[in-house]
Formats: sequence, structure tokens, C-alpha cells
Amino acid sequence: MSSEEQRRQFELYKKNVARRGKPFYPYAMFHDTVMSLVVVSVIVGLASLWYFTAGEEPGDSGVLGPRYADESDPGTISFTPRPDWYFYFLFYLLRIFKWPESVFLATVGIPTILLIILLLVPFFDRRRERRLARRPVAVVAALLVVASMGVLTYKGATAKESIASENLAKVPEWQATQNLPQDALPGARIFASLTCLNCHSYLGTGGGFAGAPDLSAEGSKGRGIDWQIGHLKDPPAYTPNSPMPSFAGLTDQQLRQLAVFLEASKGPKGGG
Amino acid sequence: MARQRKSKRQQQLQALIMAPIDWLEERSGLVGAVKYFLFRRVPAETNWFHTLGSATLTAFLVQLVTGVILAMYYKPDPESAYSSIQTITNDLTLGWLVRGMHRWGASVFIILLFLHMGRVFLFGAYKYPRELNWLIGVILLTLALAEGLTGYLLPWDQTAYWATVVAININANAPIAGPFLGDFLRGGAEIGGDTLARFYSLHMLVIPGGLIGLITLHLYLVIRLGVTEPPWTRAAAGYEFVEDGRGPVRKGLVEPRPRGNGSIGTPVREEVRP
Repeated sequence: MSSEEQRRQFELYKKNVARRGKPFYPYAMFHDTVMSLVVVSVIVGLASLWYFTAGEEPGDSGVLGPRYADESDPGTISFTPRPDWYFYFLFYLLRIFKWPESVFLATVGIPTILLIILLLVPFFDRRRERRLARRPVAVVAALLVVASMGVLTYKGATAKESIASENLAKVPEWQATQNLPQDALPGARIFASLTCLNCHSYLGTGGGFAGAPDLSAEGSKGRGIDWQIGHLKDPPAYTPNSPMPSFAGLTDQQLRQLAVFLEASKGPKGGG
Repeated sequence: MARQRKSKRQQQLQALIMAPIDWLEERSGLVGAVKYFLFRRVPAETNWFHTLGSATLTAFLVQLVTGVILAMYYKPDPESAYSSIQTITNDLTLGWLVRGMHRWGASVFIILLFLHMGRVFLFGAYKYPRELNWLIGVILLTLALAEGLTGYLLPWDQTAYWATVVAININANAPIAGPFLGDFLRGGAEIGGDTLARFYSLHMLVIPGGLIGLITLHLYLVIRLGVTEPPWTRAAAGYEFVEDGRGPVRKGLVEPRPRGNGSIGTPVREEVRP
């Protein structure tokens, strides 16, 4: 459409509103005021529900979660990285891509592309048409975006966190399947009781949250004990683009035990 | 003429109320601006969908007010951040309400931003001449998400800390700028006191400053360009209201004049002719 035509349309709009429109106050402002009161009431309601159903102890969760978790401890080794709910859709993208080769797409690539597309919407849809029935592409695109963000958010919200006691019970099973030597068992227990399995999977257990690589056959990659220890201390230095947090808070002995366990994990078919 | 004979008391009252308003108007024109804002015309079909923008603004104002109060009691250093959050939540009079409103207001703000954006998209309200306001809106959305990210660390509990570890790692993955961004956000090699101070400053000074500035611009453009009619109205369908020669426009009198709907060139249907 020519810009001449666009300007003419806008002049018509202004004429139309001047003749047929109604003043903002009191008509539109009434709606706005009612809506604002609803918004503030909902916020107060959520705050009350959150506070009165949760206890004073850290982690004592109510309907809307705890008032606070335990105090942060950089030296801790068991934690679940979980963002606020409106980032779940981004967080869950991490599961869809193969680590670490293409995880870059999930962490930076796709969000950046989506943002650029969103910014450019008015520049590739330049028609005047605004009726929904005549904008099938826009409507379908909107529905797809809403559906995919909804599904990703839901999947992120319901992703299972691994529970240390359940994982520990599986250690004998791992030992049998993987033919683990005795010196790999302390590492297996550390592995099971840390939160590794929130992101990684091992012989079908875990991986529910971030979909990091399966570690069942980590030992068959020939990386060696030193590589494993170094990687645990500073993951991005060893596998670029890795969002895995550092486990430098572990003791040297724990790191070595974990590395021995990982190197001993040759995969169910590889045998000892 | 009885109306004009006012008692002395009435005259005094009038002077008391009107004099300061006139004084202000003469020196700033602000009274006229407010009058223009209140009595400007909006399309007759303006409806509840159009309240999502002001609802988002309300949620933002809630964040501003509760945020300012929280800043009076919150201590942004790793030694006392966590305990100050506990004090605010459990000991301070109505502290739980202020923190609860700030915490859940953030979610409401984000939801309303998305709903408002969805409304603008489906109404086609981003089209000429409102493209710039769409751009500003998308930047506002990203700034709001950045507020969510930086605010999440401040309670300094385990959830906050480890979610931020991963979030910073993800930011550091970006090509070229990534490593610098990671170092900048972290304020060093490890996440610690410097990170907390940085996030606090970003969360309560830098990003809100940007939000306030851009929201002002956003509102200015809304007032300047006007509100878009819903897509189901006759105006959106390409009808033009005309004078019928007797003065005022007769209600519902429309001329079914094809106005060209851009590339699809939809002809206006005859049966809608009144």
C-alpha cells in the first residue's frame, strides 16, 4: 500500500473518531479503573494466599511455594536450578536440543531470533487489513506461538525433580548393569545424591528438567579422570556453551570419586 | 441572574480552588494537557480489551511502590540479604504484604504484558502509523523479563542463587558479547557479593529507569496516535462515515465505499449498505 493511501486512511480514522468517538473520561476511564482495581485485588490476593499458606521455616511450602528457600550456599552440592515460571518455556527449550553441540540454539539462538521476529512484525505485515478472518497467517502464527509457549511452560512446570533417596536405591542396579568396580561405588553414591540427575540421565533415570546429555556411557568416550575432574570444576572451559554450573565446591576426594565413577560407566552394552 | 450572585463564601472558595489551577496553567499549560488527556475522543467501540494496557501500567505502579518500600529494608550484601528478606517477611508490619505483592505483582505484570501484546497483535493495532509503539512495547517486554531475572537473585536463597548461576552461564554463551556479558553480570569469576550488588543496581535503578522512560514515550504515542478500533467494527472493515448534508453525522450512516485493503483489495460487500 502506498504511503499516500496509508496517510489518507489515518486521516479518515481521526475524522471518524472526532465525529463518532466518545470522550476518554468517563467512558473508557471507567473500564480502566475497574480493571486496575481487579489487578490490584488479584495481586493482594496472591500475596495473601502465598504468605498465609506457607510456614516461617525455609522451604515450608504453601499453595504458591515457600516464603524463601534455605540461604544461598555457593559450596553446596545439592540444588535444583529452577527459574521463575515465566522463564520455563526458555528453560525447557534446553531439553529439546542435543548437548552441547546445538544447545547454543536453545540458550541464545532461538530466543534471539524470536525477539527479532517480534520486533519486525509491523514491518513485514504492512497491509491495512485488521479483520481476523482475513488475516489467516497472523492468526495461525499467534495460535502456534501461544500453544508452543503454553506447552513448554507446562512441561517446565511439571518436570520432575530427582530425589536423592530414590536415586541411591538404584546404585546396586547400576552396579549390576554397568559391571561397576568397587572403587566406582562411592562416586556412584555421590552422583545419586547430588542433583546431577535433575539435568542428566543415567540408565533411564533422571534428565527430567534440563535434558543434559545421558551419562550412561560417559566412560566410553575416553576422556580420562583428569578431564572429568577439570570439567566438574569448570564445565564451560571443557565443553564450550555448556550451561552446567561448576561443582568446584566438592572436595578433591569427592571429585576424584565422581570422575572414577563416570569413567567406569561404559554403557550397558559395553561391559566392564 | 440569581445564579451569578454568589455569596462571599462561595467566591472565596472559588478563588481558593481556581486561583492555584489558573496559576499553574498560565505557567505550564499542564492543566490543559490533563484536560486534553481526559476529554480526548476514543473510538465509540473502545471496550474491555482496551483496558489491558492500563492494567499493565497499574501492575507496574504496584511494582514501583512496593519496590521502593522493600528497598528501605533490604540489604544488598551477601552477609545480610537473606536475613533482611526474612525480617521483611516475618517481622515487619505488613512486610509480608509488600514483599508478597512485589513478588506476585511481577508475575501479574508479565502476564498482563503478554495479554496486552496479544490484544494489540490480534487487533492489528501495530500497523501504520503505530509501528514505533509496537517496537517500544517489545523492548518494554524484554526489560520486564530482565527485571524478573535480576530480581530473582535478590532473596539470596538457594533457588535464587542456583537459578542465577545457570542464567548467567546461558548469557555467557552468546557469541562475541557473551563472555563479556557473563563477566559483567557476575562482577568477577564467581557469583558473590559483587553479583548481588550489580543485580540490585540493575533491578532498582537502571532497568526501572528505562521502563519509566519508555512507558512515558509509549503513552505519549498512544495519546498522539489514538486508540485503534476493534477489528470487527465497520471502520476496520473499510467504511467511511459521511455527512448527509443536514449537519451532524447521522448515526450508523455509512457509505460503503471500497477503500482498498492493501494487497488483498477486498471489495466492500453491498448488503451492509444501510
